[in-house]
Amino acid sequence: MKSFAKIGSVFLAVSLVAGLSACSPASSSANPASASNQKVTLTFWNNYTNDPQHIMADTITEWNTKNPNIQINASATENNAYKLKIKTAIAAGNAPDIIYTWAGGFTQPFVQANKILALDSYLNDGTKDKMLTGALTNITYDGKVYGLTYNQQAGALYCNTQLFDKNGVKIPTTFDELLAAVKTFKSKGVTAMTVGEKDEWPGMWYFDMIALRETGAQMSLDALNKKASYNQAPFADAAGKLQDLVKAGAFSANVLSETRDQSVAEFTQGKIPMYFSGNFDASMIDASSLKGHVTAVKFPTITGSKGVDTEYLGGGADALAVSANSKYKDQAVQAIKFLAATYSSRMYLSGGGLPEWKYDDIDESKIDPLSKQIMSTIVQGSTGSVPAWDLYLTGNDAQTHYDLVQSLFGNQITPQQFAEQMQSKVNGNS
Amino acid sequence: MEKLLRDKKALLLFVFPTFLIFTTIIILPIFFSLYYSTLKWDGFSQGVFVGINNYKNLFMANTDGFPRSVLNSFILAVVSVCIQLPLALFLALVLSRGIKGERFFRTVYFIPVIISTVVIGQLCMKIFDPDYGIVNVILKAIGLGSLQRMWLADPKTALGAVFAAMLWQYVGYHMLLMYASAKSISTDIFEAATIDGASEARIAFSITIPLMKPILRVCVIFAVVGSFKAFDLIFVMTGGGPLHSTDVPTTLMYNTIFNRSQYGYGSAMAIFIIVECLVCTVLIQKAFGKDIEY
Repeated sequence: MKSFAKIGSVFLAVSLVAGLSACSPASSSANPASASNQKVTLTFWNNYTNDPQHIMADTITEWNTKNPNIQINASATENNAYKLKIKTAIAAGNAPDIIYTWAGGFTQPFVQANKILALDSYLNDGTKDKMLTGALTNITYDGKVYGLTYNQQAGALYCNTQLFDKNGVKIPTTFDELLAAVKTFKSKGVTAMTVGEKDEWPGMWYFDMIALRETGAQMSLDALNKKASYNQAPFADAAGKLQDLVKAGAFSANVLSETRDQSVAEFTQGKIPMYFSGNFDASMIDASSLKGHVTAVKFPTITGSKGVDTEYLGGGADALAVSANSKYKDQAVQAIKFLAATYSSRMYLSGGGLPEWKYDDIDESKIDPLSKQIMSTIVQGSTGSVPAWDLYLTGNDAQTHYDLVQSLFGNQITPQQFAEQMQSKVNGNS
Repeated sequence: MEKLLRDKKALLLFVFPTFLIFTTIIILPIFFSLYYSTLKWDGFSQGVFVGINNYKNLFMANTDGFPRSVLNSFILAVVSVCIQLPLALFLALVLSRGIKGERFFRTVYFIPVIISTVVIGQLCMKIFDPDYGIVNVILKAIGLGSLQRMWLADPKTALGAVFAAMLWQYVGYHMLLMYASAKSISTDIFEAATIDGASEARIAFSITIPLMKPILRVCVIFAVVGSFKAFDLIFVMTGGGPLHSTDVPTTLMYNTIFNRSQYGYGSAMAIFIIVECLVCTVLIQKAFGKDIEY
């Protein structure tokens, strides 16, 4: 037994010493760069763990080679874990210098807590002129800009022209035409639309788009900002329109158990003529055998409502921000200007996103064709946009919205109940 | 060895590491959850103490369907005890009487227990698929096309479909426990009974089943508690949907904490599940009474 105790105490002592040395303060951190030639390292957290990852990595390498004195040290975390990680770090005051974030409701709490640097004084050097109109709208809070967007989303109605031609249906431009098209397809045994409602958010894209057509951009934004009520006729009408589609058999009866991936697959296999979704599905469709047979059009307008066809669901989504606690604010802003501008073009080229910066210098012929179509028909010349609502609503509110939209798909609630519950559960709950 | 076991210090030395791990990763988190369940907390900012409000919201003025999810888990528990266990018992009794191919069948019945739940979930989603799933294909082939359903998409049938998969998955597990217990009964007793002219059924009901009581109690506890904390297969197959029709307390808890960022309220659900399981375990122990010995 004695030897046991001896070995035990030795082990304990060793682990204690190891623990102590691990806890000792790391070499005192460098002073803020006073001289311009002093080497500075910026930390940058993002969520690029999959596909556009190489674009991110290449751009950072390029920056690091060009700027030996301002090195970027990037680390990527999986999307959902990233949301948790960045929120925790910002709350604890441990945020990285450069923060990848989402415009809209996600960034708002950080701004209100004064954790994000306002960029206005840095942007008058011509930076704003390099960006597209409205690029900074979703990242502006109380009149100040808190980040640089580089990627935007836009909802588009993807139509399979082969199926439209074969069944003699015209691509709809009004909601009545859409309903008529649904019924014609139905009569020929074709399910007109697809949505992966098991995942909940894809159905939200349909509702939010119809709501935008009913209310116009301003009323939707006001409701999302809790300045207007959801319990108004246009929102209830939008819910009613979605239910009209469901009742007309626009979606498969299996809709509540299909995932988003299944629904995209059904579309790319050429079984379904129409699919409303974001531009993020464009590269997937162009990679399928349907390439060249799909057109991305504006969602139909609703006769007699406030919404116009120059408004779209989407807008600035991905953004880079600088922590208010960063020691190297100037260098960090300098870096995000380069990163945001470069990502914007490169992601557009690859079909991974729509640009927020002017893109005159890129080779038009190399752009993903559907992305290009969405950019030219839906985004350019637009008069307003509303982001998918889960960008504005966070956590509990977003989930409540998903659930209520799913209840519409399942015919569990009436449009009026939908509008009332959106108001009482989302805006009434503060 | 005996000397070693009498040495309290040696005992402590051996037990302590396990005790430490058990306490830090199981007991302590339960108390943390108990504390969190009294907060209104989004997981990031400072939590606000709200006393027993979260518990009130579980049942009174409830808006997220928690009572219904509890009811679902009770249905699952009843179905497990009334269908799964008798089936497992029947299989165990038949196998333990030494039928031909005993080992083969024992292995076959146990296979679902070995397969990962995610794999089973994916398999069952294919089986219940409305277009090419084997259930609808067979129904159509035998002329019962009118019985075809969108099994997992229809709130009326989804619960049944998920439960069917869960029952199938664990029959083999209970079967193996019961089989081992039945096999451990001395063959002398069976021989004596056979000489006295007892039928197979009589032997099963008067000898085997009473002697298996300890393991039957364990099986009932596992089935009931397992139903209350069932999560994985439901999560894979339906995620609690469609329209919350297959929600059980665990899936609702997951959704509440990770999607709705309501850590306090979700912790109250966790505490409810723990208490529910403990109470049921004690009740079932009591209900079974003392063990029989011959």
